[in-house]
Amino acid sequence: MAREFQRGHKAKISDLTAGTDLYVGVQITGPGLTFDISCFGLDAEERLSDDRYFVFFNQPKSPEESIQLLGAQAGDSESFRVTLDRIPPQIHKLAFTATLDGAGQMSQIAPGYVRIVAGGEEVARYSFNGSEFTTERAVMLGDFYLKDVWRFAAVGQGFDGGLEALLKNFGGEVAEEETPEPQQSQPAPPQSGAAPGFAPPAFGAPAAPAPAPAPQPVPQGYAPPPVPVPSVHAAPTIIAPMTPPGPGTVPPPGPVPAPYGQPQAPYGQQAPGQSPPPPPGYAQPQAPHAPGPPPGYGQPTPPPGYGQPPAPPGYGQQPPAFGQVPGQAAAYGVPSGAPQGAGVSAALEKFKETPTGQRWTQQNKKLVRVDLGIGGQPVLARQGSMVLYQGKVDFGYKGAGFAGRIVGNATGQEMQLMRCTGQGQVFLAEHSTNLHPVELQGDAICVSAENVLAFDESLQYEVRRIEGHGIPGGALFTMQFQGTGTIVVKTHGEPVVLPVTPTTFADCNAVVAWSAAAQVIVSSQVRMRRNAYPGDTGESVNLQFRAAPGNFIVVQPYEV
Amino acid sequence: MNQPLAGYAPAPVTARMENHGNNMLKVAMQTGSDLFARVGSMIAYEGFIQYEPNPPAVRQIARDWMTGEGAPLMKCSGDGLLYLADYGADVVVINLNGDGISVNATNLLAFDAHLTWGVERVKGLAKFAGQGLWNTKITGQGWVALTSRGKPIVVDCGGGEDETYVDPDALVAWSPNLKVKGKRSFKAQSLIGRGSGEAYQMAFSGTGIVVVQPSEDSTDRLRFRG
Repeated sequence: MAREFQRGHKAKISDLTAGTDLYVGVQITGPGLTFDISCFGLDAEERLSDDRYFVFFNQPKSPEESIQLLGAQAGDSESFRVTLDRIPPQIHKLAFTATLDGAGQMSQIAPGYVRIVAGGEEVARYSFNGSEFTTERAVMLGDFYLKDVWRFAAVGQGFDGGLEALLKNFGGEVAEEETPEPQQSQPAPPQSGAAPGFAPPAFGAPAAPAPAPAPQPVPQGYAPPPVPVPSVHAAPTIIAPMTPPGPGTVPPPGPVPAPYGQPQAPYGQQAPGQSPPPPPGYAQPQAPHAPGPPPGYGQPTPPPGYGQPPAPPGYGQQPPAFGQVPGQAAAYGVPSGAPQGAGVSAALEKFKETPTGQRWTQQNKKLVRVDLGIGGQPVLARQGSMVLYQGKVDFGYKGAGFAGRIVGNATGQEMQLMRCTGQGQVFLAEHSTNLHPVELQGDAICVSAENVLAFDESLQYEVRRIEGHGIPGGALFTMQFQGTGTIVVKTHGEPVVLPVTPTTFADCNAVVAWSAAAQVIVSSQVRMRRNAYPGDTGESVNLQFRAAPGNFIVVQPYEV
Repeated sequence: MNQPLAGYAPAPVTARMENHGNNMLKVAMQTGSDLFARVGSMIAYEGFIQYEPNPPAVRQIARDWMTGEGAPLMKCSGDGLLYLADYGADVVVINLNGDGISVNATNLLAFDAHLTWGVERVKGLAKFAGQGLWNTKITGQGWVALTSRGKPIVVDCGGGEDETYVDPDALVAWSPNLKVKGKRSFKAQSLIGRGSGEAYQMAFSGTGIVVVQPSEDSTDRLRFRG
């Protein structure tokens, strides 16, 4: 699941994804509005000291091609490819901006977003809408900035003055060639016929217009622009697709990776065969060159942005060694010459295991993989939640501890845990519930005991009891986790995360988790809900939460 | 009024079996190419389609299933569009291209009648798993549809000697050439009622894939329908 950003949020890129080859998609639309979306490469003083790092439709890439403009695709009004480790050292910040072309103001925009896609998975998304803006005509949507490491910030700030104000802010002067660009681009929408055709289905980029089979795989290789060779003056591409892609064309994120990167887990642990530049996302899903079943953990899902099914010009065919994890050495890299031909493996391709070198990896919404070899510490999981494992893993009984036993005695239902130790990967799932790996870094969270699926043994936890008249079983049991590690929370259905306000109430059966700083008050019989579900006594207990702003609660759409 | 629903109209037929959404299977039926489907899985059809429960062919092949309650397959024939589903489970469509797949009986939704298929008992495991694990091995050229509770995951066994262990309740399908073993965690503690809950597993080794669902619910909903 992509991490959702709000205005002002910041995160290390390495926490979002291991890759450094990123796809940045911007969707910003509005009725009757056209936008110019560009990327400014700024120096340490936040100045545009080098014009060549102003990447926009007239200059679709920076000199060493670390920043490239890809055009509209996959539901994005505009997209960029950013290769962080090729950005020259003098560039300290990449500002992604949108300026209005023509009349209008930013408060008129439809809901849009900035998203980062790495390895075919969306890892971050900052959504915004017109209500966050007023009369601005140019906005800085998001920044990549270098502060020890590359980070991403959701900015969402604007200027009333449009592109000129923006340029001034960045210390650039409005050169004569640059100012006319909005005018230049506007009267030239000739590509509008071609663009929508390829824009909507992310993977629909037909093989035919495969862009100039460039031997050198960098820019044209995977960007399927409607114009075969993106000449510098093919500027119109930017406007044409800007309006058509509706919200429905955003490709599904596919199996979701663990959104919470693990900075501690060194990526050096990944196979040496996986060189950083081409991250998994650029690989072709069907990998026509792969003999029979794709080698190893093949490419999990078609990446949202880079569709272009057949005829890959040699870009990004993963070496078979891709996705090897240390514990298993070569075993999975061997291209299996199994007799099953294209049929089975092609049909099942989209369900392939997601490879990453992280300890916790979300395979899809309902399945989590933990690699016990990374980090080397055992994992405690709810009994029976293992669906599959590879390697040498031992499952042992783990009592819920002293406190848990008290709980167990009180309720007659002790939380049954098992300890997974050894070397290997364990896949955990339970009853098709949605799983959410939550990474704690010294902070604390309370989770309803029923919603805990698994957690690192390094985490400290204690069982708490919230008593209240009318709670089924006499009390609600929660586990408070603290420390550094990951806990997997399960929910029935998509949960909602609410900020704690003075009047935040939740049904004690539906509440899943809350930040540990929030104070819980049982407010019994606030509401009468007779026969809400069978066996109910007719009165329901609500929990009220009180906390400083910034705390949250998680509620699931399921009340048993 | 129809507008919100218009998006759910079936897409034009492009293949014999297709997904409609994640949880529904659409089969384009034609005279001459019959289909075996799970009894009770039909949710709608258009055209002229006939159903024959407990067909003789199935009785021959699936003799082992016959425990007095009839085979869980019906033969569908005719012309038209047939929609199948299994209580909201995800449907996975596979076009077999001369290769084969072994499917857990409860996860099999439908397959072309002309495919070669047989029922076998998973060796060494029947004693353990309560439901007695039967699987259907299907090979040939044609279409197969599986169900999975939740989006499945496909794991490569990798070749070599390493074994991949699967909870039998979560197992959906596997490559028929894999070596299958029942594995029991022999631990004294697991015998005295304090097991880890994972006492029985199936071990796969060899080259091929294993398909696993994110749920350990292997009950056969369609059989409860009575």
